[in-house]
Amino acid sequence: MALPIKYNVRNLVIRWRSTITTMLGVALVVAVYVLVQALAVGLEKASQNTGDPRNTIILRKGSTAESVSQITRAQYREILYLPQIARDQNGNPLVSADVIVLINLPRKQGRSEANVLVRGISPMGRFLRPQVRLVAGRWFVPGNREIVVSAKLAERFANFDIGSQIKTGGKLITVVGWLDGGDSAYDSECWMDADEARSLFDRENYSSVLLRVNGPEAALAISNRVDTDKRLSLRAMPETEYYSKQTMTAKPIKVLGGFLATVMSIGAIFAAMNTLYASVGARVREIGTLRVLGYRRRAILMSFIIEGALLSLAGGLLGGLLALPLHGYTTATIGLETFSETIFQFRITPALFAEGLLFSLIVGVIGSLLPAIRAARLPVIAALRAA
Amino acid sequence: MTLATFIIKNAVRNKRRAALSILSVAASLFLLVTLLVFQRELTLPPEEAGAALRVVVRNRVSLGQPLPARQRPIIEKITGVEAVTPFSWFGGVFKDEKFPSFAQFALDPKMLRHVFGEAKVTPGAYEAFESERTGCIIGKLTADKYKIKVGDIIKFTSDIYAVSLEFKVVGIYWGTIDDRNCLFNQKYLDEATGNHGMVGTWWVKVRSTEDMPAVIQAINNAFANTSSEVRAESERAFQLNFVSMWGNIKTLVTLISTVVVFTLVLVSASTMSMAVRERFRELAILKALGFQRRELFAFILAESFGLAGFGAVVGIGWAWLLYSQTRWAGILLGAVAAAFAANFLKLLFHREWLGAFLALLAAAGLAAAAKFIYAKGSIAGLTQNFMNTFDVTPRIIGFALLVAACLGVVASLAPSWAVVRASVVEGLKTLD
Repeated sequence: MALPIKYNVRNLVIRWRSTITTMLGVALVVAVYVLVQALAVGLEKASQNTGDPRNTIILRKGSTAESVSQITRAQYREILYLPQIARDQNGNPLVSADVIVLINLPRKQGRSEANVLVRGISPMGRFLRPQVRLVAGRWFVPGNREIVVSAKLAERFANFDIGSQIKTGGKLITVVGWLDGGDSAYDSECWMDADEARSLFDRENYSSVLLRVNGPEAALAISNRVDTDKRLSLRAMPETEYYSKQTMTAKPIKVLGGFLATVMSIGAIFAAMNTLYASVGARVREIGTLRVLGYRRRAILMSFIIEGALLSLAGGLLGGLLALPLHGYTTATIGLETFSETIFQFRITPALFAEGLLFSLIVGVIGSLLPAIRAARLPVIAALRAA
Repeated sequence: MTLATFIIKNAVRNKRRAALSILSVAASLFLLVTLLVFQRELTLPPEEAGAALRVVVRNRVSLGQPLPARQRPIIEKITGVEAVTPFSWFGGVFKDEKFPSFAQFALDPKMLRHVFGEAKVTPGAYEAFESERTGCIIGKLTADKYKIKVGDIIKFTSDIYAVSLEFKVVGIYWGTIDDRNCLFNQKYLDEATGNHGMVGTWWVKVRSTEDMPAVIQAINNAFANTSSEVRAESERAFQLNFVSMWGNIKTLVTLISTVVVFTLVLVSASTMSMAVRERFRELAILKALGFQRRELFAFILAESFGLAGFGAVVGIGWAWLLYSQTRWAGILLGAVAAAFAANFLKLLFHREWLGAFLALLAAAGLAAAAKFIYAKGSIAGLTQNFMNTFDVTPRIIGFALLVAACLGVVASLAPSWAVVRASVVEGLKTLD
């Protein structure tokens, strides 16, 4: 017969001092793990939020990212006449040739600087990305050296207020609006006219071409057509697929999170073991009594493991809750693909929360295994006589 | 029996608890040291020997914008400039890898030894590099990682140019702060791309430190109001600029370190006060025997200090060993694995099946870790060349020791307080 779980709960409550410290220890370990992984999840989510399933993106063959790709004007003209491209009411093809330029700008605080990604877009570019909304000011007018910056970047960089001017390499560009990318990678971008950006920054070529297609068959047809054309030497893929591959930045963070989790959990396991050994040591007579009452060794073993698991699960839950307030908090680092300031949010998903709980459960079970074995093996008579 | 032996006997009376306490402190301090080193590497990259005399010139817009090659003669004419080389990022993906895992730069082979004088190269490398148009010199860390030898042909597909280039390895360099790069001829790049007019950045060697400010200003002024304005800065400033791009990651690492320290204090303080609480009766007896309160405090403090100190030595020592003497760390871990294996045999002999099984598990796990660490051989190997230096500085060791000392004090507070409050009679009555 198994010991009732109530017995374990009461035991934990009565030894509240060591219960609370052990629980807090596990809680902090889980909180750190969840937070670091939330960063990686946030980076991946921002990337996943970006692509539109109806769009296809074309890059130079061999480019791993838009920022390093190049498409000549001749290639662009060829692409424009692909029959599979969707058209608007007026019969214009839904295509945007973009140019990506990095500009080094001062941050608001301190004297530090960082790269900001400027995307030059064609007139259709905005309609191809409906999740990007204007939240203040107005859109840029081509030819006036105007730019619309991400509202989230505006919080971090100097001279990003509407009406201010950005100075880069002797050129002045006026900020006329703020955009909101809906938690996508566009939150880390500034938009201006593509051809103006090309002339301003001496770019002969575009970086990428984004286009809308008429359904999945057309998308497949376009990518077959583009990929097999030796002369073009370009590659087309669904925009969603492109962005789902932009996860290089998240990788080192994941590794860091895994490392932290491993080392901290080793420390936590030792600490939990210590608590539970002490708990067993203090309950020798009690355990003897239980044995005399007819509880089997198995029941005692299970009971102690359950107690350890309960203890650290409670800690894990607490840790998850401790991390939760940071959910949605905006932060930024350098994106390893774009080489520019990348904005993203801490994302504590239910799956991540569950992972944290599982993690604490493992700590609890491993930590309680040895003490539980010790408890189960106590000789009954000696245990009863114990002080 | 002297006081010292009394304290030591007390500390190790419950060997298992002492070991567990020490190990949990050690794990936390190891992590703390690791995070501090990581943060230092992020915020303060180590200074290169030749860096004090080097100026990096990039496009004012950003590093991503190229510079016109015609700027070179203008820079060369500036007084105080000793040598100028282009330094262009190639972004090559090695063989069939997915993304550029190490950097390749195109430069002027004749200028290599003048601008990067601190590098050591295999004999004849400079001469071969100058004479062979497709030659390249590769950093030792990368050469080790991919087992590349002098004479090998290596192939890269560029991420930013529409070309693939094959290089013949003519030498290996080491002794710089970043022994991971592949250096090749700018002319070869120009020919392959058919573009002779553009370079990535200029790296300039200046005659003396006194000339630095004047040279930097002269270069900046020389191209002001041209279509390619530049930013010249010392190599150090250039590096620190890179660092500032990490943004909030630095703050985050600091936050994590703080939480780790806090967890450490909490957990260790709790285990140590547990140790003292357990022998409350003994302390009461000592009190009854006439020991003063402050003597009892001294006992508690010494024990808690001792445990924290041991933990610190194990944790910090292991961090130092792992990051700077990686092979020895592997050997040490192997020895520990061997000890567990011996224990396994002993337990097997005594027919302690469960214990034997657990010992075997531990031995196998540790042996695998030891083998991994020994095989990787260095921090660069352990991190796949992501981190190239990982210095456990005396400052960081000092800080970790300070944390351990504070821990010792804090952990002794709660039990000391209990001793003060409790009367002798109450203490003698306590059962556990």
